[in-house]
Amino acid sequence: MEAHRRHGAVNRCVFAVAVLLALTAFLPSAQTPEMPTILVTRQLAALEGLAVGDEVRLAADAGGTGAQTFRIAGIYEPTPDPMRLGSVPRAVRMHLPDLLALTRDPAVPAGAEHVDSINITLVDPADAERFSREVTTRAPGVLARPTTQAAGLGTTFVVLERFHTAIAAVTIIAATVFLLALTIMLVDERRETAGVLRLIGLPARRILLQVLVEGVLVASVGALFGLALAWGAEGLINRFFQWRYDTALVFVRITPRVAATCLAIAVPLGATATVGASWALLRRGGLRLARR
Amino acid sequence: MNHVVGSVNDTIVAADRITRVFPMPAGPVVAVRDVTLSIAPGEHIAIRGPSGCGKSTLLHMLGCVDAPSSGSLVFEGHDVAGLNDRARSLLRLRHIGFVFQRFFLLPMLTAAENVELPQAEAGVPAHARRRRSRELLEYVGLGARADHRPSQLSGGEMQRVAIARALANRPRLLLADEPTGELDQATGEHVAALLDRVNADGTALVVVTHDPVLAGRARRVLTMRDGRIEGEVRQ
Amino acid sequence: MMAPLAFAWRALVRQPARSTLAVLGVAAVGALLLDMLLLSEGLVLSMRELLDRMGFDVRVTAGDTLPGAGPEIADATAASAAIGALPGVRSVTAIRSEAADLHHRDRQADAAFIGVSGTPRVWTILRGRDPAGRGELVLNQYAAETLRLVPGAVVTVRAYCGDDDAAPPPVEFRVAGVAELPFDTPEAASAATFLGDLEEACGTPGAGRADFLAVTSTGDAAAAAAAITAARADLRAFTNDQLIGRVQQGGFTYFRQISTVLATITITFALLLITVLLTVSVNQRLGEIAALRALGFSQRRVVLDVLCEAALIVGTGGALSLPLGLVLAVWLDGILKRMPGIPTEMHFFVLEPQAFVVHGLLLAATALVAAAYPMRIVARLPIAATLRNEVIS
Repeated sequence: MEAHRRHGAVNRCVFAVAVLLALTAFLPSAQTPEMPTILVTRQLAALEGLAVGDEVRLAADAGGTGAQTFRIAGIYEPTPDPMRLGSVPRAVRMHLPDLLALTRDPAVPAGAEHVDSINITLVDPADAERFSREVTTRAPGVLARPTTQAAGLGTTFVVLERFHTAIAAVTIIAATVFLLALTIMLVDERRETAGVLRLIGLPARRILLQVLVEGVLVASVGALFGLALAWGAEGLINRFFQWRYDTALVFVRITPRVAATCLAIAVPLGATATVGASWALLRRGGLRLARR
Repeated sequence: MNHVVGSVNDTIVAADRITRVFPMPAGPVVAVRDVTLSIAPGEHIAIRGPSGCGKSTLLHMLGCVDAPSSGSLVFEGHDVAGLNDRARSLLRLRHIGFVFQRFFLLPMLTAAENVELPQAEAGVPAHARRRRSRELLEYVGLGARADHRPSQLSGGEMQRVAIARALANRPRLLLADEPTGELDQATGEHVAALLDRVNADGTALVVVTHDPVLAGRARRVLTMRDGRIEGEVRQ
Repeated sequence: MMAPLAFAWRALVRQPARSTLAVLGVAAVGALLLDMLLLSEGLVLSMRELLDRMGFDVRVTAGDTLPGAGPEIADATAASAAIGALPGVRSVTAIRSEAADLHHRDRQADAAFIGVSGTPRVWTILRGRDPAGRGELVLNQYAAETLRLVPGAVVTVRAYCGDDDAAPPPVEFRVAGVAELPFDTPEAASAATFLGDLEEACGTPGAGRADFLAVTSTGDAAAAAAAITAARADLRAFTNDQLIGRVQQGGFTYFRQISTVLATITITFALLLITVLLTVSVNQRLGEIAALRALGFSQRRVVLDVLCEAALIVGTGGALSLPLGLVLAVWLDGILKRMPGIPTEMHFFVLEPQAFVVHGLLLAATALVAAAYPMRIVARLPIAATLRNEVIS
């Protein structure tokens, strides 16, 4: 559920805490049992040379006003955020009361702070739509929606999906054109054979059926080979981008649906191109085909 | 029409114990074995023999298309073994004409353009090549078909265009490999008569053929078997 | 007539169907390649153009973040004065942006409410004029259409500037004009006024805060940025180039990477297909080529014929790919611009001469490499064996 955010202050504060990290890592002579703990991202730990057990001071402003000491309880791998691709995640995780205490305006009484959003896990995830509607109705000024409809993020990926589909469409068109050119050439190589078969008495339909079977076979093998190539490329591309952006995000995934779509396009395309080129050839008479 | 440039007394080709061996996976195949042969200007030679006896291989070596594995081959005073590919190409372009069994006319060019092709490669200016092409096509009886493409010509007509093309650069030697192989008898007779005329006009002619009638028109008939010249008849 | 290029042309025209398809295939692939080259730098060029159009060449923030994304400059008035006094600085403009509701009669729109100090304006007037005095603002086209406002009309603004949920007081403004703001996004309303008026609307007059300061140098932006950092070590100064560099490392980098990957795949694809086309074509004509060699054509000449064929296919297809690529770029740009938060004036595909040069060079290299294998076949063709095989077959 997302509360309607009028102000970006708290969200900015979280990252301000991370960015304005006033690091005074000092070796504690003795650990205070009540010292609050935090987690830091792997990237932040690497950049600032932090380790589990270190004590750090965090403040909500660059001047270090109201800085508090925390102990690093652990280092975590941040959930890859595609919207922050390319930026190094310098972030910490802390208990909400600690964050609120750290960032509270002195004029605001404790307990009166506000948060950006509240995430809810339902017993029945399928109930998300109904639940969201009910919350929105019952709590004025609050907007609740299922995470699958997260504004902005969803739109971005819808747009990217359309972009990639457009690229794929152009590639398929180019591939089809080349395929037609190739099949015309290859069919022409068997022109004499086709002519002799016609002269013997085989009807054009019979020859086309033979060509169709061959076309489907060749297209199927080719499509499967292409899929194998794509699977190999998937690994390479993901490894490259994960290295490049230091992220665990997966960039390319050949799902069964994607594979099925590729086969569904490639096989009929290949078979149709072969049959189409052969049909154009077989329109000529057998004698003309067989003649050198 | 005089197609020949050069002295009439010198030897055009002198082959001395030339051999051609083809390395094969199952073992080397000796296609031509110890052949000694010389061709004088204006000669008309036919080479006969069963299939696989090495006739075409010998023809290719005489035409500098292929090099002997051993022996010496001298073309107009040039030792062919010492020539690089470019030099051999120039030799073929200027001094040798080829007529093939399958014609090998370029289908996208007209008859006249096919005849112009070797001339253009030899650097003959455009107006001169056009004139020569027309003359040659008239010579072979196809003056009216100059602008037709090979697909519009019969087999015999295509072969006549091929002969005209072979004569384009006034070669001293014309080599024909089964020139009537794909033609019917009547058409073959016409082509054979044309070749006779070419020879009578001064071009040395070597014809490889199965056809005894075509072979009978030559003044020297060489019979080959198993890569060797088994016999020679002068008539 | 028989020059290699003319010869190659005749060879292609001899098979019009396959030649046309080959050229069209190259055109499609070439169009995609061109678009990937345009995409690789498009956002950067577009952003640079937008920044330059605004007229500022240095931006100053309180944190190490992009302008508007980090903490505010708490003493913007003092900072502006200090920076404005530096010798390399011509002008300083404080800019602050808050969320606001705009109301007119029964219509309402959520908007970005921008306050600007000083005289330089960051917008372009489309209708009406700039705000001349207090209590005036300009609206963007979307806001004007949504609220059905024209210059001279009155609009009520509720600005949300604080960290609390206190209901902001409504403030009336007169619409001085309708303007185009450089970073306007589609279907998003925005309004701009003097910084003082914004502070009044926020209920914090004289607050003197700003999201960032936009600075115009006297010529040397880098020197001005260095001077600002020296004068105010608590602030960060970015030249336009540095700003673009920061943005490039962020979201823009995805498009550069994807364009590189797609361009590479496109080139490889084209290379393979053209190689196959040429190789099959050559293999179908081996007898003819052997005959030409027997007639005296040199090795160099027949190899050149193959190269010219490749050059003609790729050259013709490449020429066709230019208008095709531009049409495709407009389409793809339209798709990508629907991403939320993308300013209307920003483009993903920007025409740039270098892209066309690289496109031409890449296609030329593709033709050369694609022709390499068939040229090799032709160069090494055994004349006699080929002639023999032609007879046997």
